Amino acid sequence: MKATRRTVMGGSLAIAGLASAPGILRAQARPPAARTVRAVMHGDIPTYDPIWTTANMSAYHGGMVYDMLLGADARGDEPRPQMVRRWGISDDKLTYTFELRDGLRFSDNTEVTSADVVPSIRRWMVRSGSGQLLAQHTRDISAKDAKTFSVVLKEPFSLLLDIFSSTNTPVLFIMRKREAETDPMQKIDQVVGSGPYILNQDETKVGSQYVYDKNPHYVPRSEPASGTAGGKVVKVDRTVYVNMPDSQTAVAALQAGEIDFYEIPPIDLLDQLQSDPAITIENLFDLGLVGHVGLNWLHPPFNNIKCRQAVLHIMNQEDMLRPTFVSPKWYKTCGSYFTCGSAMENDANTGWFKSGPNIPLAKQLLAEGGYDGKPIVMLQATNIPYMSNAATVMAEQLRGAGMKVDLQPMDWAGVVARRVSQAPSDQGGWDIFFTSGAGPSYSDPYTDVSMATNGTKGWFGWPSDEKNEQLRAAWVAAETLEQRKAIAAQIQDNAWNIVPHLHFGQWQQPTAHRKNVTGWLHVPDLIPFWNVEKT
Amino acid sequence: MTGTIARRLTSIVPVMCVVAICVFLLLHFAPGDPAAIIAGDNATPQNIAAIREKLGLDQPVWRQFVVWVGNLLRGDLGTSLFWGDSVMSLIVQRAEPTLSLAFTTIALAVVVAITLGVVAAARVGSLIDRAVMGFAVMGFSVPVFVVGYALIFAFAINLKWLPVQGYAPIADGVGPWLQHLVLPSFALGMAYVALIARITRATMLDVLAEDYMRTAKAKGVAAAPMLLKHALKNAAVPIVTVVGNGVALLIGGVVITETVFNIPGVGRLVVDAIARRDYPIIQGVIMVFSGVYVLVNLLVDLSYTLFDPRIRG
Repeated sequence: MKATRRTVMGGSLAIAGLASAPGILRAQARPPAARTVRAVMHGDIPTYDPIWTTANMSAYHGGMVYDMLLGADARGDEPRPQMVRRWGISDDKLTYTFELRDGLRFSDNTEVTSADVVPSIRRWMVRSGSGQLLAQHTRDISAKDAKTFSVVLKEPFSLLLDIFSSTNTPVLFIMRKREAETDPMQKIDQVVGSGPYILNQDETKVGSQYVYDKNPHYVPRSEPASGTAGGKVVKVDRTVYVNMPDSQTAVAALQAGEIDFYEIPPIDLLDQLQSDPAITIENLFDLGLVGHVGLNWLHPPFNNIKCRQAVLHIMNQEDMLRPTFVSPKWYKTCGSYFTCGSAMENDANTGWFKSGPNIPLAKQLLAEGGYDGKPIVMLQATNIPYMSNAATVMAEQLRGAGMKVDLQPMDWAGVVARRVSQAPSDQGGWDIFFTSGAGPSYSDPYTDVSMATNGTKGWFGWPSDEKNEQLRAAWVAAETLEQRKAIAAQIQDNAWNIVPHLHFGQWQQPTAHRKNVTGWLHVPDLIPFWNVEKT
Repeated sequence: MTGTIARRLTSIVPVMCVVAICVFLLLHFAPGDPAAIIAGDNATPQNIAAIREKLGLDQPVWRQFVVWVGNLLRGDLGTSLFWGDSVMSLIVQRAEPTLSLAFTTIALAVVVAITLGVVAAARVGSLIDRAVMGFAVMGFSVPVFVVGYALIFAFAINLKWLPVQGYAPIADGVGPWLQHLVLPSFALGMAYVALIARITRATMLDVLAEDYMRTAKAKGVAAAPMLLKHALKNAAVPIVTVVGNGVALLIGGVVITETVFNIPGVGRLVVDAIARRDYPIIQGVIMVFSGVYVLVNLLVDLSYTLFDPRIRG
């Protein structure tokens, strides 16, 4: 047979057609764009196990595929039932009994029972700071029957329901018994949840896109959605997390309608987005973010209380925030140790903040603290603008008070590795680093790890103060909000004396989405994709 | 010929050994800790230490190197610290977008650049020549990401002719596949076009000044056959060399282009891995890229025999 140009062309087309067939079939199986929400989140999912890590992206993933025992409504003032139908507390306040609601099924169509819930709580208690707190107060957690389980306490612990409904990471998500019995130090190997979505692993490409399909087995509650409480009604067929690290590209993709939601549009591009009639800017995290300046308590100069106090009188939050957040509509200064706008915000011992920087006083404190001119090693994450800018400005502020600063630029990965070191700063350690936390975290002195002062067992900076620990314990034991507020004022009074760390203000990180995508819920630390509609 | 190929293939081994040692040491002595990143911002040092132990990152560097090389010799590039997937499977999963981008870029660049270079040489000193050289200087000077953003702004946002970002597999149809590759290929190809156009022009000018070209002209050979059959073939060796060497430029550009256009290729895989210090992925991708580069240069060397029979001897 002689190969002519026509047979070669025909053969090529046939091969191309055959090669395209699986893709065409796959494309036909996909829901239409109108039923799909494409979202660019703040980062990639480091692991599918939201209990094993505190990373927010894993919690976002967890919120899609797993469900929570209790939810918190948009006001966040009271735990509400979610997987649980009802609960009861014994008269001595030592036994909490929970009953699961009907219709709970995992995505493999097996029923959710207490046998799944109990090991889920136990595994989470090992990994979570608030879970460990609960464990200290717990005598036993056991299943009574398929739908009922109980938590028996050693002594009354009024935070139990708040902790169960909290979205501080790691969140208490309920897994199948099989995954829940995984060693807490190991990651789970399968993603089977009872949440409103299912991870579509065939179309997911790790590091590139994560595809979540509506869970057909999920039965939402009948109440309207509010926070993580109420009915988690999925109103689209599919949500896709698109991993897009370049913010300029993400903004362009949003404007072109190729994505529907962008979690962290850069503040300097917000005006550009606001001028687009198809796009809405919306702040989903009501309490915003709090800037954190970590001080190393283990070595000079910040192992000395006077030197730490000096920094309070040097730092100017306004100057540190403005280069990044540009307009006061996106940021605010805050003298409270607790998040401004939260229930625990108070005014105790904030004279340093009200009076503004006082360099002569700072110099005096540095002299009293024995500062000898040692260079301060400041870790600067240059790939995160707010951290980089805050470091540059604060370095100048410290220099202005006579301190020597060794500003060490690196990427964030370099900072998280370096800050683990407890060595002196001239031997691979550090003196100052920058990070941020969600507003709700800094309104809770016990579950936020950075508010602990338990020395080298604690969080980076390793502050050590017995009085603060006693006050935190008292805050936990308090039974009413008013009691907690009073203790919070005492914690703050002590904190701005010992200076475990500093805050450099608060800011909003608004999200941007297409106007035709509505129904966004406001939840601290999570972005729910239930209740979201695309018209 | 077979002996030459065997000798050249053998010479790849020490090169790859040096690459392996350099990559491993550079990564492990660079600051960063994947365990700290996996653990999240609220993790305590104890959490991080536990993760480090689980991942084997607490082992001495030499032991980690021995394990990695042992696996490498068995063809195992390791497992991602984050996702737990094999590095080879991740590279294979990401290969199609990168190969597509590289293929379309090289095809575009070679066709455009050689045409521009030949035309500029044929019209040396003319306005066309100056324009081509001006374009070459600009193409080589403007960074890929600037070209990329400019193209996105003009053709995706303003004119809405092409998508801003993403990749459509060829299995979804040639049309969408090409649509998603046009802008990235132009952005990535600019520097490549400039490089090849300049070398083509320079080499063509040398060849056009040769006696045999004057003889061909005297014999009445038409301009087009003279340029393409006589001059271009004789100018091919340096052009092919530059095309081959340019693969390194292309690999560097692919990493940036895939980020700007959000193409889920091997370049993006390695950029994301670097940000997280996912050592096995970084090591695996660099080994693969190095292998590709060495092989391309081998092919370039072998291709000389096609253009210059004297080299076969």
